Amino acid sequence: MSSTTLPAVYVPKPRRISGVRRWTEREDVFSWLMIIPPVVFLLLLVGYPFVYGIWLSLENRPVAQAGKFVGLANFIADFHDPVFWQVVQNTFVYTFFATVLKMVGGLGLALVMNQDFRFKNTIRALMLLPFIVPTVLSTIAWMWILDPAFAPVNWFLRWSGIANPGPSWLGNPHLAMMSLIIVNVWRGLPFYGITLMAGLQTISPELYEAATIDGASTWDRFVYVTLPLLKPVIFIVTMFSVIFTFADFQLVYVLTRGGPANATHLFATYAFDVAMGGGQLGMGASIALAMLPPLALIIIAMSLYMKPNKS
Amino acid sequence: MANIIRAASRRDVLSITAISAMGGLLGAARAHAAPKSMTLMHESSFIPPYDAYMKTTLAQAYEKATGIKINYDTVSVGSLQTRVTTAAETGSGPDLTCVAFNWPYLFDEKLVDLSDIAEEIGKKGGGWHENIKEAVVVNGKWKAIPFGNIGQLMNYRIDWFNEVGVKDFPETWDELLEAGIKLKKNDHPFGFELGHGFGDNHGWLYPLLWSFGGREVDTDGKTVAIDSAETARAVDFCRNFYEKTMFEDVLGWTDVSNNKAFLAEQISCTNNAESILFVAKKDFPDIGKVTGQAQNPKGPTGQRFHILNPWSHSVFTYAQDVKAAKDFLVWLMDPKQVAGWYDVAVSYYAPFLNMFDQSPMWTAEPRNLPYRDSLATSHLPGWPAPISRPQSESVAKYVVVDMFAKACAGKSTKEVIADAKAQLTQIFKPA
Repeated sequence: MSSTTLPAVYVPKPRRISGVRRWTEREDVFSWLMIIPPVVFLLLLVGYPFVYGIWLSLENRPVAQAGKFVGLANFIADFHDPVFWQVVQNTFVYTFFATVLKMVGGLGLALVMNQDFRFKNTIRALMLLPFIVPTVLSTIAWMWILDPAFAPVNWFLRWSGIANPGPSWLGNPHLAMMSLIIVNVWRGLPFYGITLMAGLQTISPELYEAATIDGASTWDRFVYVTLPLLKPVIFIVTMFSVIFTFADFQLVYVLTRGGPANATHLFATYAFDVAMGGGQLGMGASIALAMLPPLALIIIAMSLYMKPNKS
Repeated sequence: MANIIRAASRRDVLSITAISAMGGLLGAARAHAAPKSMTLMHESSFIPPYDAYMKTTLAQAYEKATGIKINYDTVSVGSLQTRVTTAAETGSGPDLTCVAFNWPYLFDEKLVDLSDIAEEIGKKGGGWHENIKEAVVVNGKWKAIPFGNIGQLMNYRIDWFNEVGVKDFPETWDELLEAGIKLKKNDHPFGFELGHGFGDNHGWLYPLLWSFGGREVDTDGKTVAIDSAETARAVDFCRNFYEKTMFEDVLGWTDVSNNKAFLAEQISCTNNAESILFVAKKDFPDIGKVTGQAQNPKGPTGQRFHILNPWSHSVFTYAQDVKAAKDFLVWLMDPKQVAGWYDVAVSYYAPFLNMFDQSPMWTAEPRNLPYRDSLATSHLPGWPAPISRPQSESVAKYVVVDMFAKACAGKSTKEVIADAKAQLTQIFKPA
């Protein structure tokens, strides 16, 4: 493409580019310029509270008083606190069951929603409702649903003669945990469903066609095409879900506040009670921080297990 | 000023600036320019006219009289302590705040000493009830001006109690148990909170423990005393009381549950503030007519107890004008003003000033009188130990509540007391 054969070709006028501009247009500089604002934002709003939290956890820090450095004394006290271990157990049970149920249910929901049917878009939008409604509001609704006297469930059980007076959904320690898991799953399912559905839509139909020609059944197509290609999405959603469920607060705070007798206390609610109610900020911080190592371990284990093949 | 600075050396500039700043401060102190506005933080009241009265009547009257606008900032029920913590920790926020339980102790260093005005207000009001000092006097200093007690007493259905032959509310826990057994047979169980609410659980479980002679910690505030025959008897009684008069759901109840259950005619007796009767009279007049209120029953010690649940007012040390804030409290607590505020809440907040003991607000609804009479036997959680930080931790960890709740859920008395003892030993261990 020389100018002799095409004399009319457009030649941009050489423009004077200032030194600053040239500097900012260098790729390494430009990329840093783009990264700095979010990094500053993260440092201020996440990094600072986090480091401050670590500092607090190493102090005997009664509310409205100066703190005194005590090293790991708060953590040692936590380890001798029977309620702390109950909280650890509760949190693991809560996170495990809620996440597994959300994963299985969410995948099912995504598969169903990915089909072609009438009012597809409307129903997909409606599906998101539990996720959109503010947690506290929907949880108050659940408080009524789980009420033994007014609840439709218990009313049905009584009416049909199955059980009278019907189970105590929030008063029985095991049922209370189960109820919380159900509410959490109800709330988290749409998030799983919609994200997995987005993942499903990226899978090329040709792959299914090819698999069908090769004689794959519906189940085979699911196991050998859908699941492997969906793995990265499942990993991301599960990671998010584990983090949010592990650190859940609102649901428990509204429904049981950790009762009956600590059967539903989670890290976040227990830390809050000790820090705010008890005025022991250091100890509260140590309880909240104690969830970090197990959470980090879960995430690392998950990423190792679910790592998509780079090839 | 500009000329002087131009002419002066750097050192002169510094000294001039310092002197003029000091002069400014001194001048301000001497002239005491009143602030334009002050903020008083409160938890939303269960009695709506109470908040409205401050906003529309009292705040406006004060602005008219002094030119200072009072911003009445209400926060949702249960979140006041978090807000007070934030204000105390950050050193900014409202000038004055409502405080509850032992907060004057918790936030001691961030609260202004109000001893002088406490005396002044007390004198004008015929003196203070003695036991309120338990909650507001910290190391000999008044850190809050007591306002009123939100008593937690027995609320019961007069008609249903009559049906089983109980004319007057039982005097002892044993008699109450007896009545409860009959009432449960009649499909009118009792409902006392045993879950993790803010107040209705402590409201009857501490008094129950005390009336059986039990206590968490000795008067020295250090020696854990929960492991006693008295505690064991109280726990045994509670389990029996729960099994024979209540239903499983109470184990998971929070503070709204018993109000809801009582007004839905599910339960015949509970322990609560005056709000049940207040709401019943307004919204469920038929229930309102047959709702009675009584003091907590006596235990084997022959004594009855109640929880001290006071609302008081404190001034933050960071307040822009401490004097103005104190002046406002003196004005507010003057019988001319405060009587109206008590009146709109129909004695929901029982005054700690002796002059109100015979106030017409008590005769307006004689069924509320037990709330007045209970004041003399009311104490903070943790009594007879003095208020302390470990005590707050014990309440926040629901040590006593859960001791009883676990027993009701089926654990042995020995086990639940051992659990509580282990927890308390750790909480009260010397730092």
